[in-house]
Amino acid sequence: MAEDTAAKLYQAFVSEDPSSAISVIEKVKASGVAQADLFDQLFAPAMSMLGGAWASGAIDEYAFTQAAVVAEQIASFVTPPSTAQDTGVTVLVGAMHKDYHAISKNVIGAALKEAGHRVIDLGVDVRPAEFLERLEETGSRIVIVTAEPVGAAHAAVRVREALAAAGHENVVILVAGGPFAADSALAKEVGANGVIHGAESALRLVDRVAQDILEEGSE
Amino acid sequence: MADRSQQLALAEGLARQGHVQPAVEACYQALRIDEGETLTHCLLADLMLSGDFYDEAITSASRAIEIDPTCSPAYLALGLAYDRRGGGWDQSILVWHELAEVEPELVTAHVQLGEAFSSAAFDEEAIDAWRRALELDPTEARAMYNLAVAALKREGMSTALPGFRKAGELDPSQDDLFFVLAGVEDDGNPAPSPTDVAEDRSSRLEAAGALAYEEDFFAAADLIRLVLDEDAEDAEALGLAAYLYLKQEAVNEAMACSMRALSISTRTPTAVYSLGVSFAKRSGLSKSAARVFAALAKAVPKHPMPHVLYAESLLGLQRYSQAAAAYKLALELDSACVRARFGLAAVLLTEGRHAEATWEIRRAAYHDTRRQGLFWELYDSYAEGRS
Repeated sequence: MAEDTAAKLYQAFVSEDPSSAISVIEKVKASGVAQADLFDQLFAPAMSMLGGAWASGAIDEYAFTQAAVVAEQIASFVTPPSTAQDTGVTVLVGAMHKDYHAISKNVIGAALKEAGHRVIDLGVDVRPAEFLERLEETGSRIVIVTAEPVGAAHAAVRVREALAAAGHENVVILVAGGPFAADSALAKEVGANGVIHGAESALRLVDRVAQDILEEGSE
Repeated sequence: MADRSQQLALAEGLARQGHVQPAVEACYQALRIDEGETLTHCLLADLMLSGDFYDEAITSASRAIEIDPTCSPAYLALGLAYDRRGGGWDQSILVWHELAEVEPELVTAHVQLGEAFSSAAFDEEAIDAWRRALELDPTEARAMYNLAVAALKREGMSTALPGFRKAGELDPSQDDLFFVLAGVEDDGNPAPSPTDVAEDRSSRLEAAGALAYEEDFFAAADLIRLVLDEDAEDAEALGLAAYLYLKQEAVNEAMACSMRALSISTRTPTAVYSLGVSFAKRSGLSKSAARVFAALAKAVPKHPMPHVLYAESLLGLQRYSQAAAAYKLALELDSACVRARFGLAAVLLTEGRHAEATWEIRRAAYHDTRRQGLFWELYDSYAEGRS
């Protein structure tokens, strides 16, 4: 990024002119700089100039503060987006029938949502029929079933049965919870396609499944 | 002190100096002389607790309370012993509740009560207790950490993270890192008056650091101005200026000063710190914050806080296992680092390891309460009130 562009942004700051600042940013974007790079390539050098001007006394304390206000006003134009882009992947998340533990479900659901997935949270104590009903409503092809009590974990097989009976054999079921972590064979027993060991593992697995579904669709 | 036996006085003296074993022996001597002395039982409970003899601590503290149900230091020792031993959350709730009744203004009692409620899965009651603690003291970092963990359980990391950062700002250990980086040490002497500072760069910078330590930000800023008037490219002065702006919530000014400092010299740790903290305050800049704190952790590997700050920025990037590794590194450097324990607990929760998370929070709570020196505060005040 040419230094003069950063200087123009700096000038807009000290002139207390947010519209000029925005037009500088827009011009830089139009020249092909990605949104994710604007902060480092444009905003940071302009801020450094601002700091230098204050340090040398070229601008006084008041002007420094006012310039910082303009920087604040336009920060959203140069900051990488804090939320991920919509992936278009819908994921159903729910705790199995007779399981009232919500923490794993909440944490996994929130992480997936933050990563840009469309998460439908079915809550706790979810019956297999509810998983099926919401799956048909949303067209989702990924279901995450959490279960902390052993009985609820074994009952997850009923979700697979309900989906298969309605002709949704290809839906991917991922399971999470203590019993699945403790017994690696249990997931297979209940017809799950994979075991989630926490939020990071959920992100990885859902990404992989979504990729597989996409590839399947393009074939 | 007049109504205390010589043996008890000896035990107290030894305990205050950290000589646990002889202090315990002196306590037993004192009890042989007077078995009904509350203070001796209470002191013995704290000594047992410090030696990790939880059952003995529970017995002694319970006896003190039996003799005098208003003995607040005994409740503290009893509550901590139950918490450390684990498995008795009903008793723990009762004890912390009693302490909060006996000492209603004691913030830690409410924080501990909340933690006991939370361990017993009474989440609403726990949140109420932490809110009460924050009403009493809005700068109570541990209550804020706990509320952040509660938010994580309900709504996930992105909701919880600002709470962790807020708690981190309230936690004095983050400022301690800055002053370590700036080479400012608390020598027990007050900061000089700006008018008495010699007119050279080094004296001015040193005095500005001392004034910043005492939170006299305006006087510190005046001295920094004088340094910069002589040399506008003084990176260290700019690093300190950035910190002063940060403390006044002026994030963009802090960013401008730290960026300028780093453009002059990349080897300005105070500016690296301020830049990282400025980034961490902006949503969307977690990646930049992680990059900066990774550099800081590399530059200051023996201090736990850069690893904690790095870990927190990784949480914002959903890189939980890397965050756990950074927290563990911080805990290897300081096992009593409350912020790292809460952070690690948060990561463990994201991995579904709830019991381990609870254990980490319990350890954080124990270290925090012990660090405050609360036992002696309550002990002295109880003894004074009795005489």
